[in-house]
Amino acid sequence: MFRFPLFILITLIVAFGGGIMISLYALDATQGFGAIKLGAWEAFPELQTVDADPYAKSHRARAGKLLYGSAEGLTFTASVDDSGERLNAACHYRISGQTPPARLWTLFTADNAGNPASLQQALPAALNSWTVLRQPDSSFTIDIATRAEPGNWLALPQAGTFRLVLTLFDTPTAGSSGVIDLSMPKLTKIGCGNA
Amino acid sequence: MLRVFFALLAGLFGAALLHLVIILALPHFTGRDAATRVEAEGDPNNFYLLTGRYDEAGLANGDPFVRTAVCSFDVGEDPVHFTAKGNVPFWSIAIYDSASNEIFSMNDRTSVGGALDVLAAGPIQLTDLRKNLPQELEQTIMVEMAHAEGYAVLRTLAPQASFDEAARAFLTEAGCEELDAR
Repeated sequence: MFRFPLFILITLIVAFGGGIMISLYALDATQGFGAIKLGAWEAFPELQTVDADPYAKSHRARAGKLLYGSAEGLTFTASVDDSGERLNAACHYRISGQTPPARLWTLFTADNAGNPASLQQALPAALNSWTVLRQPDSSFTIDIATRAEPGNWLALPQAGTFRLVLTLFDTPTAGSSGVIDLSMPKLTKIGCGNA
Repeated sequence: MLRVFFALLAGLFGAALLHLVIILALPHFTGRDAATRVEAEGDPNNFYLLTGRYDEAGLANGDPFVRTAVCSFDVGEDPVHFTAKGNVPFWSIAIYDSASNEIFSMNDRTSVGGALDVLAAGPIQLTDLRKNLPQELEQTIMVEMAHAEGYAVLRTLAPQASFDEAARAFLTEAGCEELDAR
């Protein structure tokens, strides 16, 4: 006699429980499907537009961040290095090369939520295209480590994983259909610990 | 046994359906999307400057070199005129609707004389304006808003500390005023 309601109960539990769990998982795991990935750097040029996919729109509505418009700039985030390993504050990294064409760019170390990392006041946590020291061919090399390095240096929090956020301002990269030709700077791991 | 299997299958089908409904409906219900936060900053038609730390509404500059100001507006009654000028190396503005979709964006490269001069209006207001364009709007960029509510984000850069003053002046003097037509 209780079999029929029991089946209904199973159905409802699976439906609601499963549906909610899949939704939460999907929203936390991805930011939507429209990403472009150039080496270690990932960007979502359409995240703020009406053409974003429903997952991206949901993610955008939950995060509640002020995104950059297409004519404003494009944000690239690196959470892994060029070889695919997670960026870790115990290691020493180097960014080298050129950015795609842009009028200005900024680079800062961020926590896993994308907010600028909170470091001690005097430590350099960010660089931009006006303050970076360049080679004669206008390429640059930036060292990212917890210990001070000569040349361009970005400080890191003492431990944990982090991200790097590179924002290009006034760049054709956002609307570029020729994404293949764009070259982002290389992000390589030099060593970990005292190596 | 077969009935249990069917129950599970129906449950999975329901889960997929519920998942779809949640993902599609979520943007309307979060209460913490950008449009709600900008409205929580204060009165409409006013540019509010953001700081490096998250304020009560949950907004921040987000980048150590970017200075941001936000303004929520409603063009249902009158069009809204965005103005700003100053000696800054870069500025950009983006206009979003209440679902945080980008309606329009531009930066100072495409501006006249480096000054911001944009008007957001509904379709009927735009048609009226174009019929008799007041002289002060002759070089204004017109943006059509399909829905009345929206918000604007005005950004400028301060690449070094010496640019902070000019950036603050630029954002403080920026206007997000309703246009007194007629």
